[in-house]
Amino acid sequence: MAVPQDLFYAKTHEWVSLNEGIATIGITDFAQSQLSDLTFVELPEVGATFSAGDEVAVVESVKAAADVYAPVAGEVIEVNSELEDSPELINKDSFGAGWLFKLKVVKESEVDNLLDAESYEELCPPE
Amino acid sequence: MKAWSVSFNQPVSYQDGLDIQRRILKARQEDRIPDTVLLLQHQPVVTLGNRGRDNYLLKTKEEYTAMGIDLFRAERGGDVTFHGPGQWVIYPIMHLGGSDAGSHGYLFNLEEIALRTLADYGIEGFRRECKSGAWTDAGKIAAIGFRLKKWVSFHGMSFNVSNDLTGFGTIVPCGLEGEPVASLKTILADACPAMEPVGDSLLNHFAKVCKRDLERFDLAGEMPAELAELIRDE
Repeated sequence: MAVPQDLFYAKTHEWVSLNEGIATIGITDFAQSQLSDLTFVELPEVGATFSAGDEVAVVESVKAAADVYAPVAGEVIEVNSELEDSPELINKDSFGAGWLFKLKVVKESEVDNLLDAESYEELCPPE
Repeated sequence: MKAWSVSFNQPVSYQDGLDIQRRILKARQEDRIPDTVLLLQHQPVVTLGNRGRDNYLLKTKEEYTAMGIDLFRAERGGDVTFHGPGQWVIYPIMHLGGSDAGSHGYLFNLEEIALRTLADYGIEGFRRECKSGAWTDAGKIAAIGFRLKKWVSFHGMSFNVSNDLTGFGTIVPCGLEGEPVASLKTILADACPAMEPVGDSLLNHFAKVCKRDLERFDLAGEMPAELAELIRDE
């Protein structure tokens, strides 16, 4: 299973890409594969603020609903509105077009609490 | 991996079942207990999933109340369903986000438990594409809907044994119009087994399919103090 090397990971299977104080966040390929075909995504409001570990979004497949957590604290500055009509983007490209939301992070050093690709891979089932 | 199960010998109200699940969910998220599966029957209740649609309810709230049926919107995935005595419900509260996650995925595993239980009684069950659950020639016999919080599952699967199926007539089950609902009783008639052996089958197959070493308890008997506290809210 693909785990990009340049991202940070939460134990709850979110990924974070940090760029100039803006964190782009999505769920990992492992997460989408466990949930199977997604049919709905409940995204946060732009402007809402969250602490690390807060419930931010819900992703839903036909029979499952799963909470998505903020890996770091911040304010929502953008959500991926394409997912409203095309939640399957998460299944097709979880690390790219299937991103969920962007946070203006409060403290960039919070990513140090997250896992690197190697540690995250150890958390997932062997191929 | 070690896991616990708790069997309930009396039907449980939906609210009580939910309260118990939430306490166990929290304890499991905090790693205070192993994976725990509840096996129970509910008092009559219609539940809608997180995104379940009201137009699949064919009665008003007042009419449900008059029929002795509770109505709940649950936070699980899936659409509308009916629970009542004579139907087993299994609620596995399991950590799914780790390296022991099954390669087929949890939904597949739940279906597999239902299909193997059917096979124990000589019934051929099958999956249908885009229509999750377990099916027989006579109709749908097991329905699935679950939620993950911090990658711990709750809610789960119901399996019709000898329940009165008229409750399903008050809804469009799972939003699937024109699809019949079956039970072991409608298929096996007088040969329908009692509830207990079917419950045992479900737990046996849960243990095998999910690869859990199951330590079984029932509500009336002894159980670890930390579990009793969560179940009985002492």
